[in-house]
Amino acid sequence: MPVFPWKKSCPQKLKKSKSARTIRRKDITMAVVSVDKLAKSVVQGPSLMTGSVPTKDWMDIPAVFKPGNFCYPAKKEKVEYMNSQPGLSFPNAREWWPEDDDWKLPENWKEIILNGLRERLDKFRSLKIFMDCCVRCGACADKCHFFLGTGDPKNMPVLRAELLRSVYRNDFTLAGKLLGKMAGAREMTIGVLKEWFMYSYQCTECRRCSVFCPYGIDTAEVTMMLRELLHLVGVGINWILEPASNSNRTGNHMGLQPHTFKDNAEFLVDDIENLTGVRVEPTFNRKGAEILFITPSADVFAEPGLYTAMGYLILFHHIGLDYTWSTYASEGGNFGLFTNNETMKKLNAKMYAEAKRLGVKYIIGGECGHMWRVLHQYMDTMNGPADFLEVPKSPITGTVFDNARSTRMIHISEFTADLIHHNKLNLDKSRNDHVVATWHDSCNTSRAMGLLEEPRYILDHVVNKWYEMPENCIREKTFCCGSGTGLNTDEIMEIRMRGGLPRANAVKYVHEKHGVNTLGCVCAIDRATLTSLMNYWVPEVSVCGLSELVGNAIVLEGENRQELDEGLRTLV
Amino acid sequence: MKLSGILHDKKSEILSLWIERTLDSYSSSGFFKKSRDHIANPTGANIKDGLTGVLDLLLARAAIEEYAPALDQVIRIRAVQDFSPSRAVVIFPELKWVIRQVLGQDILETGADELAALDCEIDRITLAAFDIYTECREQLYRIRIHELKSGRAVLTDSPCSSRMLRQDRGVPENIN
Repeated sequence: MPVFPWKKSCPQKLKKSKSARTIRRKDITMAVVSVDKLAKSVVQGPSLMTGSVPTKDWMDIPAVFKPGNFCYPAKKEKVEYMNSQPGLSFPNAREWWPEDDDWKLPENWKEIILNGLRERLDKFRSLKIFMDCCVRCGACADKCHFFLGTGDPKNMPVLRAELLRSVYRNDFTLAGKLLGKMAGAREMTIGVLKEWFMYSYQCTECRRCSVFCPYGIDTAEVTMMLRELLHLVGVGINWILEPASNSNRTGNHMGLQPHTFKDNAEFLVDDIENLTGVRVEPTFNRKGAEILFITPSADVFAEPGLYTAMGYLILFHHIGLDYTWSTYASEGGNFGLFTNNETMKKLNAKMYAEAKRLGVKYIIGGECGHMWRVLHQYMDTMNGPADFLEVPKSPITGTVFDNARSTRMIHISEFTADLIHHNKLNLDKSRNDHVVATWHDSCNTSRAMGLLEEPRYILDHVVNKWYEMPENCIREKTFCCGSGTGLNTDEIMEIRMRGGLPRANAVKYVHEKHGVNTLGCVCAIDRATLTSLMNYWVPEVSVCGLSELVGNAIVLEGENRQELDEGLRTLV
Repeated sequence: MKLSGILHDKKSEILSLWIERTLDSYSSSGFFKKSRDHIANPTGANIKDGLTGVLDLLLARAAIEEYAPALDQVIRIRAVQDFSPSRAVVIFPELKWVIRQVLGQDILETGADELAALDCEIDRITLAAFDIYTECREQLYRIRIHELKSGRAVLTDSPCSSRMLRQDRGVPENIN
């Protein structure tokens, strides 16, 4: 009588032949002995077939580059261009490749790095404190999405920071100078530099770890310093430097020139007219407008941001806002944040220069992530206060946004939530009944500016069904999309997918529990990269911006709206 | 005693050693093994769940197609982690060794044909896992292509994906 169904699929010879059975028994007896040895070694160390389980100290495991685990280096001409710009320094432009042994660094690269570190320790008091005060409690260790997706100890924030801290100890502390490795110090070598490159580009500077750090160490700023130091010797990635140079040159990451930017926005105007029967009339570079609106350029160029931009256009038309777009300050994003302080300052300053040129009263910013981190954490000391502008005051409700008294720039969600609160929008929630939403708190807007309640308040008013993900992965504890800080490039797709696993896993949870089919967010990088992330992990869920849902729900005066089963995404 | 009975009796030991060894393939596996929170520990929790599902199906004599969800839960993760294809799926053939390790001398009480049949089924599971691994990798490349086609490549001035593929292969730029 068969015990296992799989018997059927086994060779008959084995079942019937007594001698075969005898032989097998013998083999098994022998195998048990060898398996015993091997298995023991597996349990304690190396796995049988898969190679060894690492047993070396983290300092002794070198960074090995192979296709798929590094971002392509910055192109020589982009580095040269950036280096040619006043106030910016991007030396050592050249062709190089991370897999090569020789990275063609300057001869005195070590001196440059150590001097650069010394200079930054003097300049940024926070860096000095972060280098000194970590007690290695490990509270951050299991909070990083890259660690959770890889199990690589160097992706623990504490160890990622230790990559820099060990060099700091070696050259800048007495204990390190005297005790060396015993004090956790190590010399700056080419191997260490390569390790910096690998792991500072496996950190999205999302700052989830810093929420859990009892000392408030901002590990993102350690990563920022690592990237700055690497740029001193010409080590950077193209996906960051090229958008930064485009932004510097034409005003946006895409390198769109003014007429193209305007044309793209006008395509959206046509689409809105087709869908709703109402022609909205945005203006561009209009002097004397009350408000300048700045959003990520991806919103007027790539799906699904396009629908978010349609949402803005519908909202502003609905309330009759006196505003203008700019084709010069046509980018909310600031890849300088991922490069160095000087670039960040310069790109941020362009927005304010344009606001001054156009003579607006204040700025409304669209659904961007890191623009808001730059604005709330760095703008004021870099370029502020923006006292040539007025403190933002809603022309519709009269609300004064005191929180933006210094930056004079408010978030579209703050503005929209205030409109809803004062009952100024004609909303029909049922127009979003094709949506069962969940909310992704984008890292920068939640942790760097505290935008937690406004999006939820808006969702409550524009969608009938939406559900929170579990408590330990939302609000300030939100998981990153895994592709922020300029890591949204396709050559590291598998790194992005594993880095985004914690976020996707939580979305999958609410998809299975509540039938969620839409992931809302307020960040352009999120909108683009969460789309890829969902395609891999939870393909039933699509990604949208919050203003898209607002645009779906708005009942426009004089509209002749078609049956829009999928809101603004409906093909008509 | 029949092998099926022994396996049922020792199921929890087998599972725990199997999970332990699988998670040992990660450089720092302490948290993956310890935390039971599915949200906080997605790799560890999904692998534990997936392997539990596979073993349950094995003991329940399930048809091979029934394994897909449990295998997917494990392999979809390992397909994007830093493993070679063989290292990603090797956890399934290793179940043979895990079973022998746990059963110890008890294995002598079972029939060779029963054991061969079990091994055969584990091989089939491995092959099914490899199919899923391949699907995941293909999906990954489709996602890359989709990103390129969706226009985001304009962010950098890479003109088209075929040129980038040529660059990846090291073909000189002047060859068209």
